Amino acid sequence: MPLSRRIQRALPNALSIALTGLVLLILFGPVLLLALFSFNDSTVISLPWEGFTTRWYSEALNDDGAMTAIGNSVMVASIVTLASLVLGTLASWGLTRIPFRGRPLVAGVHGAVLVVPWLIIGVSGLIFFSQIEMSLSLQTIILMHIVVTFPLVVAVVSAGLIRFNPSLEEAAIDMGASQLQMMRYIVLPQIAPSLAAAAIFAFAWSFNNFEISFFTGGFEQTFPVWVYGVLRHSSNLPVVNAASTVIAFAQVLLVFGLWYGMRLMTKRRGGTDRDAAELVTGAVR
Amino acid sequence: MGVPAAHVPTVAGERPSRFSKLLRPFAFMSMPTAVLVLLFLVPMGILVYFSFQYGDLTGQSGFTFSNFSDILSDPLYREIALTTFEIATIAMIAQLIVGIPLAYVLAYKAGRFELPLLLALVLADELNPMVRIYAWRMLLGREGLINEALTSIGLIDAPIDALLFNKFSVIVVLSTSYLTYTVIPIYASMKAVDAGLFEAARDMGAGWFTTFRRVLLPLIAPGIFIALLLVYVPLFTDFAAPTLVGGTTGYMLGNVVSDLVLENGNLNAGAAMSFLMLLAAALFSLVAYQLSRVKQGGK
Repeated sequence: MPLSRRIQRALPNALSIALTGLVLLILFGPVLLLALFSFNDSTVISLPWEGFTTRWYSEALNDDGAMTAIGNSVMVASIVTLASLVLGTLASWGLTRIPFRGRPLVAGVHGAVLVVPWLIIGVSGLIFFSQIEMSLSLQTIILMHIVVTFPLVVAVVSAGLIRFNPSLEEAAIDMGASQLQMMRYIVLPQIAPSLAAAAIFAFAWSFNNFEISFFTGGFEQTFPVWVYGVLRHSSNLPVVNAASTVIAFAQVLLVFGLWYGMRLMTKRRGGTDRDAAELVTGAVR
Repeated sequence: MGVPAAHVPTVAGERPSRFSKLLRPFAFMSMPTAVLVLLFLVPMGILVYFSFQYGDLTGQSGFTFSNFSDILSDPLYREIALTTFEIATIAMIAQLIVGIPLAYVLAYKAGRFELPLLLALVLADELNPMVRIYAWRMLLGREGLINEALTSIGLIDAPIDALLFNKFSVIVVLSTSYLTYTVIPIYASMKAVDAGLFEAARDMGAGWFTTFRRVLLPLIAPGIFIALLLVYVPLFTDFAAPTLVGGTTGYMLGNVVSDLVLENGNLNAGAAMSFLMLLAAALFSLVAYQLSRVKQGGK
């Protein structure tokens, strides 16, 4: 094969690899460097490398602000995830399986929450709570997180329910199963991977949410609000490095763990990786 | 057939009694709907109400349009709106320029790397945005790693200041923050396209650009509109990135809202600004949503 032809053939592949590599570098490079420099024995984050240390980690452990913020975020995100799974599953069943008057309108409101920017939700929450004279705290953060997060669960779980043929449910009922048995043995196993995917997204949405926590948290700080505050005043940066590295690492583990679990679940009922991927991409769609 | 008609299952199961017809939707929908009404619709209503109110220190209050006229006539706000538009649009275009080819690679070229790459994109989105902003600040700053590295190998004599605290750094940070939501809808719409079409186009003598413009682009247009819906609107309201890496030239509308509400305590003006942004977002979303459906053949 003449060289020019060979280059012509190889070029798109080379371009694909270059593009993918570049994107991965831009997306993950900075965070990896941040992790690397959390082990640098220097109060400023810059070259040259001063030597390996874990002292920023022990400082982070003793930093009240950091630990409180992380604890708050974990608690808020856990409660929000649970509440969103319950509300979201109820609503997805109602919206996909039960015909009722005004269903398009109700579905539309669920969708609208997802496109209203969090900044505006945050401001509306701030004004709302000040009007009903509820003081801002973790509780108000949780309430506002739930209202923006459970419609995401609805989107993911509804996608799962739409794909799944309702005639199986009717068959179960016809063969004498109670509503509860039908839910437990027919529906739940089918939507379990969707629920797992929804849980990943719900937790991450709440944990990473900055705007709403910032406006409706009062003096209480979640992790993103704490980082924002520290960065604004540029103090104690290596501790932020250490804390951020731990959080990023935990998030990687969480995503991989749940992904692995989802794959197991879809595989066990004869699905493929592709089905699991569908769930993940379905959520963003 | 000997089967009594009443036992033939309909789409909604057996014919429900009037009671269960009302009760079942209520059982499933009452709680979610109550949450939406109480914590989404009511606060939004109050926000809109507040944007038409004035209140001064003497305790007087009432109906007014002045919050809006003040905002719309202020040349400073107009300038900030333009900056916001510029930053959001450049960030969006940059993401599409990277995102469309990347979605193409994922959908047709990646082979066994397709799923790991997809997962990497999801992971990139799950990483804390504040951590990402911080990481970029560390890279781009005056004493940041890029400057340090370039000076130490002698490529530059003095650190480049133009990397951080301006529009450029805001665009970089925003583009990397939202890339997942740009790529995945486009990728999903590409997966639905039959790759045989490309071969057909090539057999008929179309070059790669013609194939892209005339075959692929019309088919993935709905995905692009969804990406616009998911990314372009939030880009307009972001305020963490502009505050932390924007300096004075990267000040955006989100910062205006945040400063009005939290620094000045002027809830009415903040509400009015939020309401204007909400209107713009709603208008844009509606257009993008309609376009994404038209292109799908009105499904």
